[in-house]
Amino acid sequence: MTDVRVPETDPFESAAPERGGRGPASPATGSFGTGDWLKWAWRQLTSMRIALVLLFLLALGSVPGSILPQEGTDAAGVQQYFTSHPSLAPLLSHLGLFDVFGAPWFASIYLLLFVSLVGCVVPRTFRLAGSTRTLPPQAPRNLARLPASAEYGTALSPAQAAEVAARVLSGHGFRLRRPAPTLPAGSAAPTGPAGSAAPTGPAGSGYWVSAEKGYLREVGNLLFHLALLGVLVAIALGGLFGYKADRLLVQGTSFADTPTDLDEFYPGRLVTAADLPPFSITLNTFDASYITSGAQRGQPNSFDAQISYTASPGGPVRTDRLEVNRPLSVDGAKVYLIGHGYAPEFKVTDARGQVVFDGAQPFISGTTGNFLSQGVLKVTGAEPEQLGFSGVFVPTAVDVNGTLESVFPAADNPVVSLIAYAGNLGMNSGPAQSVYQMDTAGMKQLTAAPQLLQIGQSLKLPDGQGTITFTGYQQWVSLAVTHDPGQLPALICGMAALGGLLLSFVVRRRRVFVRASTGPQGTTVHVGGLARTDASGAFEDEFASLAAELRSAHQQAAQDPSAQDPPAQAQAAQDQAAQDETAQDCTAQDQAARDETAYDQTGQNQAAQDRPAQDQTGQNQTAQSPGQAAPVRHEGE
Amino acid sequence: MPRAPVIRARRRTVVLAAAVSAGVLLIVVLVVGWGGSGKSDVTQVDGSTSAVLYTAGHRPMAPDFSGTTLTGSKLSFSSYRGKVVVLNFWGSWCVPCRAEASTLAAAAALYRSSGVVFLGVDVRDTTASAVAFTRSFGITYPSVTDPSSTITLDFTSVVPIAGTPTTLVIDRTGRIAGAVFGATTYPELTTILAKVTGKAADEAVGR
Repeated sequence: MTDVRVPETDPFESAAPERGGRGPASPATGSFGTGDWLKWAWRQLTSMRIALVLLFLLALGSVPGSILPQEGTDAAGVQQYFTSHPSLAPLLSHLGLFDVFGAPWFASIYLLLFVSLVGCVVPRTFRLAGSTRTLPPQAPRNLARLPASAEYGTALSPAQAAEVAARVLSGHGFRLRRPAPTLPAGSAAPTGPAGSAAPTGPAGSGYWVSAEKGYLREVGNLLFHLALLGVLVAIALGGLFGYKADRLLVQGTSFADTPTDLDEFYPGRLVTAADLPPFSITLNTFDASYITSGAQRGQPNSFDAQISYTASPGGPVRTDRLEVNRPLSVDGAKVYLIGHGYAPEFKVTDARGQVVFDGAQPFISGTTGNFLSQGVLKVTGAEPEQLGFSGVFVPTAVDVNGTLESVFPAADNPVVSLIAYAGNLGMNSGPAQSVYQMDTAGMKQLTAAPQLLQIGQSLKLPDGQGTITFTGYQQWVSLAVTHDPGQLPALICGMAALGGLLLSFVVRRRRVFVRASTGPQGTTVHVGGLARTDASGAFEDEFASLAAELRSAHQQAAQDPSAQDPPAQAQAAQDQAAQDETAQDCTAQDQAARDETAYDQTGQNQAAQDRPAQDQTGQNQTAQSPGQAAPVRHEGE
Repeated sequence: MPRAPVIRARRRTVVLAAAVSAGVLLIVVLVVGWGGSGKSDVTQVDGSTSAVLYTAGHRPMAPDFSGTTLTGSKLSFSSYRGKVVVLNFWGSWCVPCRAEASTLAAAAALYRSSGVVFLGVDVRDTTASAVAFTRSFGITYPSVTDPSSTITLDFTSVVPIAGTPTTLVIDRTGRIAGAVFGATTYPELTTILAKVTGKAADEAVGR
């Protein structure tokens, strides 16, 4: 994200229009070709501002996805919305608001944000690589002008003083830069503190050490942006290759993780039936225990589903237990226990005496009512007429003023209440039906009032239509199967983003310069330093202790003759022009970006700060204002 | 001019960033597009949206299975090798299964003379309901029960069975030659069988 700042604050912005260059910054200035428009558009797209706007839009765009029913997860809800809002619904549907996450406009926000991030991070990667290779700038001429500075005399020669300072700074993990060996230092090393061979010339000459530390800040910054990209990729992975499914499983039965054997199946865009991990799960037993006394009576204590499963057909059978928030992990998928209920068991014989149903039928309950559960039993195979039963299962039945209520969620006194129907269930053609609902349009009610049955009791249907026996009950659990290949990458990237952000906030880029020159009272050591974004003021303390350490090192070296060897000037100077980190900065730290401008100017002639920004180039030695003439002359003496 | 190399460096990174973004976009589009495109090893049966024929050489091998039939006897799929098999995945609870049941029962009777075997796989069902179903629709061919969907699971690894019912036609070498996803109609089934048996429908049923 290019930080589109006012050009005046950033003398390194090559595209600033004030320079009359070819770089486009705003379409308002001058003649603007297609290429310029494209460049301008790219610049805008990759700018911090637009990225934030896109991020906001992404958040805003997902709001209707949580307010309105969505096709993928709640198709019935969408149907209902269409019937209840006949004029509004088609409009919303046209805007894709019933399938927000598949809508083209949502995808375009997502992709634009992705491009914006890539457009920011890629150039930044290269700049970081460049910045980690470049050496700190040459020491400014007048270190006293820096935010932190110190000055003291030493008995060492300037060359020796610089050497000792380099050793100290290097010991603190600073990256160093020293004058090039061609400069008048090595051979013409002064013989004593009062030596007259003091260097003259531009800022690049003399005895000095430039030191810089805190490159990790850039690494953190970069890590943050890369990790943000990673999060987007991980979410896309989940959307393309993940799936969600629900399955109601009655005690003693099994299911396999394949679309035909799942109740609800929401595949990702690139998921096919064969991509699902081929596990199967059998529910052996399910136990729910409840608090039996006190105010909390009837509240659940614990749920415990004992299962056996195979990861693939023919594989070894393993056993495990599912509890709430303790899912089963199998072959990349997670199986959660999300609900439970009762499935009363019935045996039905038809008018011809044939057994036409014998098994458990899951009933469902609301959130209240102690698992008073409702359901239907559709006996399609009954002859000559199909039979249907609409029923209520009461786990612990108590007669309260003539109505049956459940007073406890456990099945302590299970009773079913049934209404019987005969006729056509409407299942030989037409759309798929819910197993919890019955269309009684083609049926006639056989029993006027609901008939109560306890376990083992039978109800004889009138006119010899058959018999239904309540044979017992089973418990069922509902399981949620999720497979999100992006989950772990998203977590890792999220943590990396946080770590990167922390690094970039905690670590400061800071520079320390030491310059030793020969004055009337012998060698004077000037120490100066500055930090980028030093809000906490911690750099002042660091600088103070560094300066003190330099001073004591110099004192110690002056007393120790072995340390007074002529220094070797090994560090070669490098082109300063490469040092332009402030340009196109895409961090969220605008204030920091402004500070960086001043920070980077330390590599320039300090005098140039007083001049208009657009005059500042590389190592402009001619730009000194008259006010700075005195120290230069002083240094030349 | 010390600024010139900076400008060039910046332009390079901008171009690079643009190229990388374009590349990523291209990959996304390709992946999505490729995922959405159809497979080349199947052709649609004429006049049908849910029936396909596998082109010769691309027929997937049908997995072997064995199980217990609704009447309690053992059935092994491998014992039908050498015959054309129509394999129907169904359940008594499933509305489209009831819609196609008469068609399958009739076709099974018609094709018996030409050596085409019909088999069923009963999924997510109880035996009493399933037996009542076969009785209601006069289905006489055997169905194995698949209470834990393991047979379905095996077949799903070679054919994208996404719902019940699904009907597969398996050739004499044990390979899947055609499939109907959803309720089977008589024309769909006879078109596939004509291709697999090499006989036209009229000829095959002996008319």
